[in-house]
Amino acid sequence: MMEIIQSKHWVEWLITISKFAFAFVPVLFILLLIPLERRGAGFIQDRQGPNRSYFKIPYFGRIRFFGWVQDACDGIKLFFKEVYAPSGVNKLIFAIAPAIPFAIVLISPCVIPWFAPMIFTMGDQVIRISGQTVDTEVGVLLLFGLSSLSAYGAVLAGWASKSKYSLLGGLRASAMTISYEVCLGLSLMGMLLLVGSFRIDAIIAWQEANVWGIVAQPVAFFCFLIAMIAETGRAPFDVAEGEPELVAGFHTEYGAMQFGLFYMGEYSHIGINSILVACLFLGGYSVPFVTTETIQANIGVSLAVLCGVFVIAILAFLHLLYRYSRWYKTSAASNKAVILREYSLYKILGWAAIVVLSAGAVVSALFFHPEFTIIDGQAVYGIGAALGTALIHILVLLAKAVFFCWIWIWVRWTLPRFRYDHVMNLGWKVILNIALVNLVVTAIIAKILGGR
Amino acid sequence: MVRQIKQKPMNWTERLYVFEACRGMWVTLKHALRGLLRYETLPTVPYPEIKPEIRHTYRSKHRLMLRPDGTPRCVACGMCAAACPADCIYIEAGEVKDGRIEKRAIRFDIDHLVCVFCGLCVEACPVDALRMDTCDTSYVYRNREAFITPMSELMRWDPKDYPQNDIQSQMAPGGTKNKQALEAWGLEVKKC
Repeated sequence: MMEIIQSKHWVEWLITISKFAFAFVPVLFILLLIPLERRGAGFIQDRQGPNRSYFKIPYFGRIRFFGWVQDACDGIKLFFKEVYAPSGVNKLIFAIAPAIPFAIVLISPCVIPWFAPMIFTMGDQVIRISGQTVDTEVGVLLLFGLSSLSAYGAVLAGWASKSKYSLLGGLRASAMTISYEVCLGLSLMGMLLLVGSFRIDAIIAWQEANVWGIVAQPVAFFCFLIAMIAETGRAPFDVAEGEPELVAGFHTEYGAMQFGLFYMGEYSHIGINSILVACLFLGGYSVPFVTTETIQANIGVSLAVLCGVFVIAILAFLHLLYRYSRWYKTSAASNKAVILREYSLYKILGWAAIVVLSAGAVVSALFFHPEFTIIDGQAVYGIGAALGTALIHILVLLAKAVFFCWIWIWVRWTLPRFRYDHVMNLGWKVILNIALVNLVVTAIIAKILGGR
Repeated sequence: MVRQIKQKPMNWTERLYVFEACRGMWVTLKHALRGLLRYETLPTVPYPEIKPEIRHTYRSKHRLMLRPDGTPRCVACGMCAAACPADCIYIEAGEVKDGRIEKRAIRFDIDHLVCVFCGLCVEACPVDALRMDTCDTSYVYRNREAFITPMSELMRWDPKDYPQNDIQSQMAPGGTKNKQALEAWGLEVKKC
């Protein structure tokens, strides 16, 4: 036991163990996705979206965080509702089923590479820490396996609920998962063929060296995206919980936090899938037009640029805020004093963040020269650059993933639901064939261009 | 006769669905960006704080028009009550001492729970005593009796809330044309 612990330096242990925190990233996506979905849906339908709930703080009064408080309230409400099961259900399975999709989501992120491998020299040995929590050879396969496992939640819930609607919903969910799992795997095969590895970090490294997957394999990207949306079971593929026919599908009989678990499972599934699509087709953590080596060589400037990007984003946000305030001042709203007071908090926070980030940018550009860091009296070469690069990579990956999250929401509130047989036709007769043809064409071209 | 509508058959790009879906996505994206970047132009407004503009032609709560001296114009002829399809107007006539008109209303109740807001009473009134242009659309009371609006309530309106070109309203006490009207009518404001 002591040998294992002493085989690595504590710095290495610290970083390795910290990577387990990435398991919670999809869960954090829920916090982002629910307000994004509700306000986004509102804006798409020319509504306002939830903007009522607030909490009070001294001086600034009612703080609504652009509707985010509403989602927190809904969560609290679900949490404190009575857990209730109809009579005649299979109690054990009924209780376990909602936890399955959510538990899967906590395991899935282990194979996602969050940053390029950290390499630094400690004394006379070179230490390499990979970006995945679990450094495995079968990354993509493991992820597919896990994400199709989440269909068990729907199937078991449907089976245990003792309700016709639930059962039909569960049946449909399983059929959907089986059909679209095939499409998912096959549409990715072209990409895997080009890369020659199942490792996600290898795929990202290939994209960094050549072109992004979306350029190399546009057809595969399209098929993959459709299959992904279908696999998450959201509109336009939400036949498993289609309201017009099946009430609410497999979670008809669930309420309170059991329903909340399904809900959260769905959203974190979207999160993990967006991260996956970003990894496979949008270059993952790689920054566009800049190689990892360049970032590491100029880490001070890179961090300064990162701060600059944040400053620009905050400035854009403040611009919107000032426009709204100006409009509110002239409007006939009876609560404009309250709202302007609330906005003044955001303005103060925004300007404070801009000052801090600008100072940070200047400091890092001028003074951050991490050739070596002294840890425990010995010089460690390159750990500062490695950590800085990892930070940039994580943020870039998350930005790409958030973009895909928006696509999920956007598609849901645009397209009408497909009929069940249309979904099956699309899966088996269209996407599967396109993916197969894409695979064959990719194989031929790769052979002609002198691949393996 | 059955009218047959010929639907244009879809061409191949439409049948592919993908391009049409993308077009739909573009439409919704425009709406979403409008909400995000031009929030103030959203057609829906947060209701109790910002109220939508209601025109004076909208048939809302009734009001009784006033003479320049502040008495109601109503001559208690009962035309509005006769015209009312919902029977929600109750009028009690009384005697008038000064001889200008024969009768006056001593009770004029409108039951707003029964009223259907058709506006026929306004059409029927021969002396333009009843109007429905208060723009007041909210009726919130605790019991049924409170929905019966008495004459004092119907007369309680402010000429300042009505446009300047609405001369009939501006002739009421407090209006800009009140003084002129009093002179023209040869009336003086009673002190009571």
